[in-house]
Amino acid sequence: MRQAGTYSGLLSGGLSGRTGPHSLPLARIKKIMKKSGDDVKMISGEAPILFSKACELFIEELTQRSWMMTIQGKRRTLHKEDVASAVMATDILDFLVNLVSNSSHSMDNPVEVETIATSKS
Amino acid sequence: MRCVFFNDQCLDCEMADNPTSPAAGSHDSGGEQSPRSGVREQDRYLPIANISRIMKKALPANGKIAKDAKDTVQECVSEFISFVTSEASDKCQKEKRKTINGDDLLWAMATLGFEDYIEPLKVYLARYREGDVKGSARGGDGSSKRDAVGGLPGQNAQFALQGSIYESTSTGTAYDPNFHARQ
Repeated sequence: MRQAGTYSGLLSGGLSGRTGPHSLPLARIKKIMKKSGDDVKMISGEAPILFSKACELFIEELTQRSWMMTIQGKRRTLHKEDVASAVMATDILDFLVNLVSNSSHSMDNPVEVETIATSKS
Repeated sequence: MRCVFFNDQCLDCEMADNPTSPAAGSHDSGGEQSPRSGVREQDRYLPIANISRIMKKALPANGKIAKDAKDTVQECVSEFISFVTSEASDKCQKEKRKTINGDDLLWAMATLGFEDYIEPLKVYLARYREGDVKGSARGGDGSSKRDAVGGLPGQNAQFALQGSIYESTSTGTAYDPNFHARQ
């Protein structure tokens, strides 16, 4: 069928070329989806395509929010702690709190500390 | 016995104790329930290069990104996919459907607070479907197609349906096509 051909063309375009229509590999997205739960068995063809764009939006949003924290700390390099602070400060990112606090243990809010330090000087 | 010939691709064989598996692809429907139990990294995360590229795009030209930040975002994205997929999967189960489709994912994202994504995703999907119908390549910008999304009545009756679903389930806010300006 014609649709299938178009789809596989899309797939290879997304995997191989930087300028492909999808900026993230669909097969990988599908794998991660299937690991989400035992009851995730069948996934429609357009689901990973949708996710490739959704993940892009998500990464952009998370990066921009993190960058705000970097700037607040008067720095120019975005660090893990900035991502953690952004997650803490954003309601819809609550589902990531465990993930970022586990990996950035014992660093409770370094951004705030830095902001205070710089404002004193 | 180990899956020597597929050492690169089939590390799962070692942990699954299933040396007869011919290739990594066959594990798709398998039961690796614990994502942190040593499933190879390539299966758990999207490629770091792609993540990095998208991150850079979101920063000003003088902004730099530390590696630990990229790694964290990489983990977060996988968590995001699982988060949304689980919600969509629950909905499918309740409605006794077996296949998670695009509308389920859109619904899940709206439910979980990502309603800002819906509009751009619908545009993206419409462009994809339109390309499918015409059988044309989608390498180009397609900015002219973007304009057509809201207007074509015959293109996708499904979108009209989607619209009604979200208006009733989400918080009642109209979708703002300019949501990016708010960030």
